[in-house]
Amino acid sequence: MFWQLVVSGLATGCVYALVALGLTLIYRATEHVNFAQGELAMVGAFLGFTLHVHLQLPVWAAVLGGAVLGGAVGWVCELAVIRPAEGQPHVNVFIITLGLSIVLKSLAGMVWSHDEFPFPPLFSPRGVRLGSVVVTPLNLGTIAVALGIMVGLFAFFRYTRHGVAMRAVCENPEAAQLMGVEVRRVYAFAWILSAGLSALAGALIAPVLNLSTHMGAVVIPAFAAAILGGWGSFPGAIAGGMALGVIENLAGGYLAAQIKNMVPFLVVLAVLVARPQGLLGEREVRKV
Amino acid sequence: MRRTTWWLATLAAVLLGVAAPAAAEVGVTADRILIGTSQSFSGPLVFPGTEEIAGIEAYLEYVNQSGGIHGRKIEWKWYDDGYKPQDAVANMKRLVEQDQVFCILINQGTSPVMAVVPYLEQKKVPLMFPFQGSSRLHGKKYVFTSFTYYDTQTQIVTRWLVEKKGFKRIGIIYQDDAYGKFFLNTLKKELEAKGLKIAAAESVKRGATDVAPQVAKIAQAGLDACLLALVPGPGAQVLKEAAKIGLKKTKLISSGPLTDEKFLILSGGVGEGVWGLSLWPDPVRDDSPAMQEYRKILKKYRPGHEPNRYNLYGYFYTKLFCEGLKRAGKDLTREKLIQALESIQNWENGIIPAVSFGPGDHQAQDQGFMVEVQGGRFVPVSGWLGIRDGKLVESPL
Repeated sequence: MFWQLVVSGLATGCVYALVALGLTLIYRATEHVNFAQGELAMVGAFLGFTLHVHLQLPVWAAVLGGAVLGGAVGWVCELAVIRPAEGQPHVNVFIITLGLSIVLKSLAGMVWSHDEFPFPPLFSPRGVRLGSVVVTPLNLGTIAVALGIMVGLFAFFRYTRHGVAMRAVCENPEAAQLMGVEVRRVYAFAWILSAGLSALAGALIAPVLNLSTHMGAVVIPAFAAAILGGWGSFPGAIAGGMALGVIENLAGGYLAAQIKNMVPFLVVLAVLVARPQGLLGEREVRKV
Repeated sequence: MRRTTWWLATLAAVLLGVAAPAAAEVGVTADRILIGTSQSFSGPLVFPGTEEIAGIEAYLEYVNQSGGIHGRKIEWKWYDDGYKPQDAVANMKRLVEQDQVFCILINQGTSPVMAVVPYLEQKKVPLMFPFQGSSRLHGKKYVFTSFTYYDTQTQIVTRWLVEKKGFKRIGIIYQDDAYGKFFLNTLKKELEAKGLKIAAAESVKRGATDVAPQVAKIAQAGLDACLLALVPGPGAQVLKEAAKIGLKKTKLISSGPLTDEKFLILSGGVGEGVWGLSLWPDPVRDDSPAMQEYRKILKKYRPGHEPNRYNLYGYFYTKLFCEGLKRAGKDLTREKLIQALESIQNWENGIIPAVSFGPGDHQAQDQGFMVEVQGGRFVPVSGWLGIRDGKLVESPL
């Protein structure tokens, strides 16, 4: 049972990780905390579902299309509600994203209804026995996609002009602007990329959770994952997501029903007390 | 002469003006009855909520088009409570005090329903057929309840499994809230009465992402049968996880509200062989005349809605409510509606077993039948089952 729970938890954890990556992207570029990340995942998954059902695209194409359209939704959000708040305190933007999450959920309900739908899986959900553990291609595919995206992001930030520009803006927006980086374009790009990633995460979790407007709640474990791994760190988001998924499952498998639900958050608290920068976060030292 | 006429006319007007409100009831005029409810048009139960309303409206429009009841058309006002008890109470106060409705027809969800009952009882406003199955509403004068109570449902299933199937190791996966615990507690009591113990009990939090731990523990416990007291989404997750790890030894059994086509659709075809307790005939395929009429009326008045158990509920209980209105007669009052409903005996309806009410007995249904999923649909495997004098009894479907 132990390894069974670990494998299943890793797959769920990868979905947390993808949403956490989206949170981290926006935070790294704009220092904003985006509470609507879960709703971006939900809307992206619905867009992919629409492409599959109404245009009869194959599932992989529909999921990719959903990620692209989801990115576009992210862009529109950035233009419409985040950009006008430029220069305002972070807490204002945080409240704006909270409002954005409610608006997105209601709009999705108007378009697709608040019903639940079965979402076609990108990989087969049929179990395959490997020794004592049953795994599904869906589990393994989810893990592979998450790791692939992490490697891609790493390469993007290290080797491309856009990636370097984003890092520059993150370090020091004024200096970056003086060096000729278009800060606003970088902000918009961060939202597009982040929303696209979350749409992909939505499409990966939807076959398990069923597609519905309530899916946005995945943002809560994603926040926990990002904090556990080290707020603002990309490898941290991945590690935190996977760790949280596994801890949740092991707590469910070995502890009494009454306490299993709080264990993951107790672990997050314990890690933060012992290591405030999270598992893989960088310690920020301020010299006065 | 002209002055006398004027006086007479004034006198008549004053007399009529005084007399009319004394005779009529709140929400009832010569040509209309105003009813209302608070429902889920948002929040977690929005799908059941909007479907129940579709069934209600379809039947009411059908009645209105056929001339209404005793010459009165039925009008309605609905408000959204999003499954929030405090909003449900505010909506009820608005309906009763501001809109002045005659009665409340079909609200939904154990907590919002429980929250409004004391207020409606105090105001003596009838509450017709709330969509919930807690037996705590039993014995209230102004409340009529609908389907088999959750504890009776659990009794029926447990006894059927133990007495008819000879099962001994029985467990449950339940939603971690008051709803799930209704089923859990009755299962415990029932098994103890048979000298058995609950073999495994696993809870699922609403909105959980992974049910692998629960299913793994159920598999480890080596159960004969496992009850599922869940809503369709997590219920389908359990079926998928069980199919994934190849759990064949344990029969999975859906509780009454879960035995729903949505649960099968969401499980993506892995539900074959699952058992369940059904409270309704198959809304899509059952072709008794009453069920055909239901589909015809739904299609005519609410064409965007496919037949399902929620709009069937709205339709059926609105029909029963209208039967009460008819029997209450032309001089409709709230007290007369309650007396009229209490006079209903063996009301044959072609959908559920004949309905009987009486003073102190306001429950419409107290049976269910067992089904098995075959070829993607629920096929009956028992007759109507109920508990009479503490014993399981079966009557033909």
